[in-house]
Amino acid sequence: MDNLKKKYSIVNSQSSIVRVGVFVCDCGSNIAGVVDVPAVVEYSKGLPGVVFADEGKWSCSVDALADMQESIKEQNLNRVVIASCTPRTHEPLFKQTVKEAGLNPYLLEFVSIREQVSWVHMGVPEEATQKAKDLVKMGVAKAILLEEGEEIRLPVGKDCLIIGGGMAGMSAALNIADQGFNAYLVEKSDALGGILNQVLTVTHDHIKMPAANIVKAKRELVDAHPNIHVYTNAEIASVEGYIGNYKVVLNANGDQADLNISTVIVATGMRQIEPEKGAFQYGNDPRVVTQLQLEGMLKRGELSDAKDVVIINCVGSKNEERGCCSIGCHVSVKNAQILKALNKDRNVHILYRDLSMVKNEQIHLQGAKGTGVKFIRFPDSRYPEVAQGEAGLSVNVHDILLGREIEIPADLIVLTVGFTGDETMDDVRGLLKVSANSEGFFQERHIKLGPLDFPADGVSLCGCAKNPKTLKESCEEGIGAAMRTSIPMKNGFIEADGIVAEIDLSLCNSCSICWKRCPYGAIKVGEDKRPEVIKALCKGCGLCAADCPKECITIVHYTDEQLLAQVEAALEENPDKKILGFVCHWCALGGVDMAGVSRLQYPTNGRLIRVMCSARVPIKLIERAYELGAGGVLVAGCEFPTCHYITGNYACESRIKRAKKKLAKKGYDADNLWLTWCSAADGPKFANVMRDMVKELGLSK
Amino acid sequence: MNDSILIIGAGIAGINAALNAAEYGNKVYLVDDTASIGGMMARLDKTFPTNDCSICIEAPEMYEVDNHPNIEILTNTEVRKVKKKEGGFNVKLVQKARFIDPEKCTGCGACIEACPVSIPDEMDGKISGLRKLVYMPFPQAVPNVAVIDPDCRYGNMRENGACVGGCVVDCSQCRECPIALCVKACIDEGKDAVRLWQSNKNLKLDVKSIIVATGIMDAKPPTGLHGYDVADNVITYTQFERLMNAGGPTEGHIIRPSDGKPAKKIAWLQCAGRGLDHGIPYCSKVCCMVATKQTIITKEHDASVETSVFYNDLKAYGKGFWAFYQKALENGVRYVRARPYDVFEDSETKNLTIRYEGLETGKLMEEEVELLVLSTGLVPSDRNKRLAKTLKIELDKFGYFKENDPLMAPLETGVDGIYLCGGATGPIDISESVVQATAASMRAVL
Repeated sequence: MDNLKKKYSIVNSQSSIVRVGVFVCDCGSNIAGVVDVPAVVEYSKGLPGVVFADEGKWSCSVDALADMQESIKEQNLNRVVIASCTPRTHEPLFKQTVKEAGLNPYLLEFVSIREQVSWVHMGVPEEATQKAKDLVKMGVAKAILLEEGEEIRLPVGKDCLIIGGGMAGMSAALNIADQGFNAYLVEKSDALGGILNQVLTVTHDHIKMPAANIVKAKRELVDAHPNIHVYTNAEIASVEGYIGNYKVVLNANGDQADLNISTVIVATGMRQIEPEKGAFQYGNDPRVVTQLQLEGMLKRGELSDAKDVVIINCVGSKNEERGCCSIGCHVSVKNAQILKALNKDRNVHILYRDLSMVKNEQIHLQGAKGTGVKFIRFPDSRYPEVAQGEAGLSVNVHDILLGREIEIPADLIVLTVGFTGDETMDDVRGLLKVSANSEGFFQERHIKLGPLDFPADGVSLCGCAKNPKTLKESCEEGIGAAMRTSIPMKNGFIEADGIVAEIDLSLCNSCSICWKRCPYGAIKVGEDKRPEVIKALCKGCGLCAADCPKECITIVHYTDEQLLAQVEAALEENPDKKILGFVCHWCALGGVDMAGVSRLQYPTNGRLIRVMCSARVPIKLIERAYELGAGGVLVAGCEFPTCHYITGNYACESRIKRAKKKLAKKGYDADNLWLTWCSAADGPKFANVMRDMVKELGLSK
Repeated sequence: MNDSILIIGAGIAGINAALNAAEYGNKVYLVDDTASIGGMMARLDKTFPTNDCSICIEAPEMYEVDNHPNIEILTNTEVRKVKKKEGGFNVKLVQKARFIDPEKCTGCGACIEACPVSIPDEMDGKISGLRKLVYMPFPQAVPNVAVIDPDCRYGNMRENGACVGGCVVDCSQCRECPIALCVKACIDEGKDAVRLWQSNKNLKLDVKSIIVATGIMDAKPPTGLHGYDVADNVITYTQFERLMNAGGPTEGHIIRPSDGKPAKKIAWLQCAGRGLDHGIPYCSKVCCMVATKQTIITKEHDASVETSVFYNDLKAYGKGFWAFYQKALENGVRYVRARPYDVFEDSETKNLTIRYEGLETGKLMEEEVELLVLSTGLVPSDRNKRLAKTLKIELDKFGYFKENDPLMAPLETGVDGIYLCGGATGPIDISESVVQATAASMRAVL
């Protein structure tokens, strides 16, 4: 594509003449009460490329939308600029409208003159009108360069690989298979059931069930299902590809299997952390065991004579390295009750720091207390000590309530230790290119709203591979993960917005940074080291573009030249009084909108350009704004750690540091470049930044 | 075949169930009895343990719901009758009048400006947030349509200066209103969307399955509990959440209700009211991390503010929770294992003196603070009882919905085709709600 030709002759990719239509909304008096809308319409008509401009009382009303479609057809418009409220709420509506008028929806540009102008500059109608004109001019400048886009589809089949045959994995497999899809269930050991195979009983509310019965019931369902293919003693040799297109090689029971896989569920579970040898005499004395060892002993009936049992909780947990083990309190109370039930004369002590029992688990706590289990709290900083004496073991503990040390004789000591991810986890991580946290568990896409996903499409996560969980929680996660992977399998494809990365290979030096940095696995590198964007997987954040040392990556619909056109339009007149702002769509623009909704009044100097992520802002555009004499430049992104694209704001932060150095080297005042992190709730912050910039940079007069 | 799904409750659980089922290809009716989707999460400032801004991450999902071709949002709507039939349910619902035509309203706010009466916003409690009688539930509300307080329309707000309600005939008799200022303001804007004469609407749906996602409520402390409702500067943890929210009534300034001055010394009392008569008998799971979040944010606003958390058992059970607690300690938050037994207000300064027994020392201690926050825990939604009856499913003894076989068939109820998720099942955090919602949607589409 010849960029220069495109820019100067205003000819689009279809080689037809660009015909821009501008629709300016009054929003009743919301906009028209402050901004001189007829003047903005007249002004628009004089802008290059514009062949039609109109005022609408309520552009989003059904009648106005019909009129707009009429105008698009009559005037043969091939670009549309809407100047009205905010794209965050109304862009989908207008996109749909132009689409129904036969225009590609990517040829629409949205200009916000309510939230960014009339609501925040109420007392200064002339300046507000001037700003509205500038924003429309910027919108038109970009619109001219817009190109048709399309949703990109990638076909997805109906074969799901589930790694891990514990309760989460089996739950996932059953739900996948019930839809008629194939579930390939891969288990490293010789039997399904996972860590539950090591457990004696499971309790929930008033229910108490032998773990073996639960595993058996689930296993029978799995075995009987024609769509579930179980591989035991299996290990994954290799995984190549991406959603809809995985080639997986397994070694199972000595045989090799080659599978074509559409989606993947990771359910690799967890393992108990072996206590340090010698800690609490573990390893020195066979009477010191872990909870899972105790469950094994109970299962085998090896526990006839222990009279004094001491359970020590939080062993190796809640310290500098590791957090709460999540399930230890529950497990210790459950097992204490079993010990009591087997022999009511047995003394059972639970030594604890905090009792982390919620809602119905409280029932068990009361039950344990009722059967005579003794609870002793020790201070966070003074763990009990275990001594081997002639008479046997004894535990010395500082009882907080008594305020002194006490000694408890013991012939069995049970350590409630923490858990970490399964030992296959590092291999799986490498095979699927997913990440883990410092405690050895997989890291989900978003801790709140993406709990079952990895960033890459088509790979889900569930159960104890994520964090220790109860049986019920693991099963829920397995079912949920089945849903997440079933959506593309049911639809037969995944679809991505047309806003995707594009790499100019003529400038690329094959450094592979883009491939490494992409959180979505959307860039692949071939044997020739040349990167290629898998468009259907790309989310369009621009993280790769931000980190590319050659600056040769651009984002469709937010191309460098489109953004440049906006910068130049914004700074054509009185640049020294203007603040050129780049705001991210998800949070910062939300903060801008919030300032608008709250009618916070701030100076009119800002000219904002929307980008999907703050990481998208290239240094060369900032430099260009300086060259053009901008009074100030602002980059605004999501507050840490919120980022719609996981770590875009971090990338932005380091890029702005580089930008500042570069600017200073060129003799510019790097202090005129501001960076702010603004949440979508924080209208006051955005308004304050505008006020502060105007004040500190002396832009008021 | 009818494959549509009814989701009752449009908080973060309902929203996620809806998005998953709709993406899967099923038609979804997402019902909420309030005027906007969003639920409790929309009222939060931040989410633990990452301090993600709550509305920043929820609003995009709300807009997605709004724009999804497979999802129909029914706000202000209650489920009245559910009849099981072959392969699904017949459902009767009532859409309560919002007195605004949602097709015409653009959320411009002209009516709100015109309304002469401000009343305390339920969302903010005693921290002095106000709303008009015609209002938006919150700035990012979906649908972005105003709603009129029924009290105004039924003439109950005349004493407060309401412009309507003094007529000889009821609003339902008229088809236009010459006196209501909101009606006039809307007509002046050229919209004419205010419909004071609007009445409730009956709806009927045929659905394949039902997901109950009615959520959870924060417990209101009884009068006198640690000085609540007696002393000015005792508030609940949800009120504090609004106080620290930049989008809240104080723009995020943490000030005292008594004098509007910044609170420089704040204490949190955990498990407030738990175990007492009429108190909550169980641990609500989230309050420890909520308090931890609130102290960290308070310190971020102003590092010189002294913050203390009086607690018994620290519940840091989830992923990243312990590190979050460590972060609070590093930021200078004080955690005191204590059993508070009394709170006194200084009649002049309106400061509060907490008397407590230090659990690690056994000593009786006193501490004076400027603002006291009660972590009162979570209780079942007050709609559960009626809904359980309508759906013919059971509640547990606390009032949460009961699963039939929680270990083998989680989230399924006694009625085939009705599933549970989120706060409907018990105290829960956001990510667990999302997990359950996703799982419930899987069961519901199968």
